[in-house]
Amino acid sequence: MPPVPTAVHDNDDVLAAAAGDPQAFQRLYALHVGRVHGALLRLAGYDHARAEDLTQEAFIRAWQKLPGFRHESAFGTWLHRLAINVALMDIRARGADPVRVTDEEHLPDFGATPFCAVERRELERAIGQLPPRARAVLVLHDIEGWRHEDIGNQLGMAVGTSKAQLHRARGLLRKALGEHS
Amino acid sequence: MNEFEWRRPLRALRQPEMPERDLWPAIEAAMGNTGNARGRATPVQPTPRRRWLLGTALAASLALAGGVGWHMLRTPIGQPGTTATSAWKPTDPRLAGAAIELDAARMELELAIQQAPDSAALQRLLRRTERQQAQLQRLANRAS
Repeated sequence: MPPVPTAVHDNDDVLAAAAGDPQAFQRLYALHVGRVHGALLRLAGYDHARAEDLTQEAFIRAWQKLPGFRHESAFGTWLHRLAINVALMDIRARGADPVRVTDEEHLPDFGATPFCAVERRELERAIGQLPPRARAVLVLHDIEGWRHEDIGNQLGMAVGTSKAQLHRARGLLRKALGEHS
Repeated sequence: MNEFEWRRPLRALRQPEMPERDLWPAIEAAMGNTGNARGRATPVQPTPRRRWLLGTALAASLALAGGVGWHMLRTPIGQPGTTATSAWKPTDPRLAGAAIELDAARMELELAIQQAPDSAALQRLLRRTERQQAQLQRLANRAS
């Protein structure tokens, strides 16, 4: 997983928050909430209420787990990963969209739509329409830059299944975009 | 369209998005109740899911208590009595187990309500437990 850009000056606050200082944790929250909420919003298919609930849950978990943070990565990277895990656990708990093998014959041609011409909002809407697991794989791989191995581990699926889900998600996305444009 | 062209607009979505409402007050409230390992060691505030589990566990223990009481009423007298303590201990040994279970359930509910005073579900369970305790007392009176 690529590192998440983070402020270099949050180290003192991380140490203080790990020692139980809520003001320090509030400063960390202010610094990172946009990035965390952005990732969860995409995973939640742009469902704002759900993304906010997940963000809240992620920060509460971060507060609880912070004393165990080993500084092996930047705090922002650790927090981002923890938040995504919260969202993935939510997807798994909902049992949504069980993994299926894609029938590739029914997918639209990969090169059919001029993607760069599509406006951001339309793209977000199309991502929001994807089935939860397919959306999770697409968001993690194509937006967050995760590897299929990491996605497979987190979502409890084989690497091949993750690749198939990505292919399916891209196909569905292109189809949705083609229908809207 | 190649992989690079495909991912370029998607990667452009990887931007911070602030929540529409301020989430900090709720987070702060939950932190105040949970503490972290090196911070304050205060009791854990049940999340909605934990509250649901707690409610289910309490409902199960209440059902068990009712079942134990019912079973004991149908069991012949003469079995050894319980040694556990209870706020109200019926003289009939058949009801003592149910009384202890209900007592424990009520105490757990009162503790849970201290954690989540606005939980209507917990309040309902507490009222139901108190009703069951009253019912058990009536049964005990009748049995004696």
